[in-house]
Amino acid sequence: MFFNSFSFAIFLPIVFVLYWFVFNKTKSTQNAVLIIASYYFYSCWDWRFLFLLIFSTFLDYYTGIRIEKTKTELGRKFWFWLSISVNLGFLGIFKYYNFFADSFSELLNGFGLQTSPLLLNVILPVGISFYTFHGLSYVIDIYLKRIKAEYNFIDYSLFVSYFPLLVAGPIERATHLLPQVKVKRSFDYQKAKEGIFQFVWGLVKKVVIADTCATYANAIFDNYESMNSLSLLLGAVYFAFQIYGDFSGYSDMALGMSKLFGIDLLRNFNYPYFSRDIAEFWRRWHISLSSWFRDYLYIPLGGSSGGTAMKVRNTFIIFLVSGFWHGANWTFIAWGFINALYFLPLLLLKRNRSNMETVSLYWDLNSVKVFFSIVSTFALTCLAWIFFRVKSIGEAFEYIGRIFTNRIFESQYLENERYNYEIIILILAFIIVEWNSRTKVDPISGKYSYLKLTFCLAAIVALGTYSDYKEFIYFQF
Amino acid sequence: MKQFLIFTVKTLVLLFLLLVVLDFLYTTVYLQSSNRGKIDYVYNSVERDYDVVILGSSRANNHFVAPMFAEKGLKTFNYGMSGGHLFEASLLLKLMVERKYTIKNVILETDLNLSNEKRAEGIAAKFLPYIHNSEITKNHFSTEKDFNELYYIPFYRYVAFETRIGFREMFFNAIHKKTNHLLNMGYSPLGNGKGNMKNNISNLKPLRNKYYEEIRQLCKDNNINLISVMTPMCSNTKGLNYFDKVQQLYPEIHNYEKAVEGDQYFSSCGHLNDTGARLFTSVIIKDFFNK
Repeated sequence: MFFNSFSFAIFLPIVFVLYWFVFNKTKSTQNAVLIIASYYFYSCWDWRFLFLLIFSTFLDYYTGIRIEKTKTELGRKFWFWLSISVNLGFLGIFKYYNFFADSFSELLNGFGLQTSPLLLNVILPVGISFYTFHGLSYVIDIYLKRIKAEYNFIDYSLFVSYFPLLVAGPIERATHLLPQVKVKRSFDYQKAKEGIFQFVWGLVKKVVIADTCATYANAIFDNYESMNSLSLLLGAVYFAFQIYGDFSGYSDMALGMSKLFGIDLLRNFNYPYFSRDIAEFWRRWHISLSSWFRDYLYIPLGGSSGGTAMKVRNTFIIFLVSGFWHGANWTFIAWGFINALYFLPLLLLKRNRSNMETVSLYWDLNSVKVFFSIVSTFALTCLAWIFFRVKSIGEAFEYIGRIFTNRIFESQYLENERYNYEIIILILAFIIVEWNSRTKVDPISGKYSYLKLTFCLAAIVALGTYSDYKEFIYFQF
Repeated sequence: MKQFLIFTVKTLVLLFLLLVVLDFLYTTVYLQSSNRGKIDYVYNSVERDYDVVILGSSRANNHFVAPMFAEKGLKTFNYGMSGGHLFEASLLLKLMVERKYTIKNVILETDLNLSNEKRAEGIAAKFLPYIHNSEITKNHFSTEKDFNELYYIPFYRYVAFETRIGFREMFFNAIHKKTNHLLNMGYSPLGNGKGNMKNNISNLKPLRNKYYEEIRQLCKDNNINLISVMTPMCSNTKGLNYFDKVQQLYPEIHNYEKAVEGDQYFSSCGHLNDTGARLFTSVIIKDFFNK
């Protein structure tokens, strides 16, 4: 059941009615409705993995209490490491086992030892990377005495399994979400209306931008050997907008629908393609994951407080782990590595926090510089996305190599029965809309909201891609 | 909450109105179009006279060289459509009859397409803009599983088949951008492609096909001479006895599967190249129109 599916269009109103009209007396009944809805939502993918989700929830709930109650440091450590190792163990088995087995076998083959790896025929449980990280942050925070353990199992379960964020985030923190689920929610008209606006804008990003770009990006990436330079360049741009529309669209829908239930989730995207450098990009892209790694990996490793060597080491670690989090493939690690390389000069020159304010452009010379810094940051991002999209690192180098060696910049008819340039106007229109609303959560709210809502609804039905349906990319992570 | 419910109802009403308006706009554009494909070319036409009308799938579209019929003085148009099934051929013929076409002969490619009665989504979609304006189109789709959605939900058909009749196609219709579907009297020649020169049709079973029988009845009722033919396949085809099964089921269908032999005449296993198509057409003209 996807947010943009017909079944979800039935599911959401039913949950809304039960939540606000039938079981709205206490916070416990409200939470119970959301928990049942969340488990039903999750079981629509594969009910067998529901047990894994419940086990993971119970493990962190129980170990959290044990860490808090245990008096000795040794005991606290025991429960802490038990939780960490079981959580990462599940993630390792389901997500990374085959990758490690395969890579180890290839390494041995490289030394002349012929081996065939024992691969597991397992499917990746949807959302495992997200709910595991929820649990990890909770347990770490208790261990570090930043928060108190949660004793109400229903409340804790809702923090982990709340359906808007269950399968693709944003990765919530106990300090942000738990206090909200511990009180009875009252209906707030303005918040709910904003939620609808944000949900509709998320849907525009998904079905109009992401899915349309996907048909072009797929046609180009899947046939890159026969593509000319212009198609290859456009392919990288289309994929950049596909992944942005897909993931930020999903996040907008999650945040928007959560507002319908009176719960605010962490913002996950803040117009990242208007960033002036890579450091700013990473403050605006998948914010909940970037800040998770910052707080639970980068800072514990020493952050940027040590010498230059330590800063460089920590930067590479965080980007490589971030890449690996996305999937068990060397291409994701390469993507992380490239981003670390981009980040390094800013770090060494101490310019990684130089673009903190909202970007603006005027008719002056400085704005020309700002404009080119935005374009060059986007170009660097697109280059890195090529590694993210292809099947192997070799393919990425071939793809990039062909851009420079082919040198044919003309229209090309693609496998999707369209010309390579056909959606440029759509993308430009999207950029203009995003630019004009870059200080807001979504472009619909504010003045003339009904008119803007009308345009968005018209875009969804008239310009959306439906026959070539695409799952949300981040579901695979 | 009351305010929110009013807001939600307003939004839903707005959405419904949008769907109605968009449906009207798209349909209006499609009703003006007659140069994008063979379906709108027929739908938005009146009274044409033909000595020969060719119907079928790509194996009709690529195999019958309509200009060769014209050279013999036969007014001909090839209405074969790549990917089409007999569902669409039958509907197209019904529309021609409704528009009072005078047709002496229909050549119907009737071979692999006899094996199913399903609609070809990509081709059938092109009829859908007219579903509210044409009783024949409506009735033809009425037995389809999704008829209620297609007919009663405004704009649903344009969303469900957006790659075929969605915004892009509507826009090209609005600006009267031409395609090459109507060139060469509808015949679409193929080159010496690098297509797959082997095929396996052993799983296909010819059916007593509802739409073939509709076409047969339609021709009978309108005094049209129906010439049903099977067309050539490449030599490396498994299950060629399919064509014998067709003839057992419908003895009136002429078997021309072996009319052109040699892979040099094929663009892919199921499709003749232009040279092969010319050889094949000359055989057909000789056998049926050399009087």
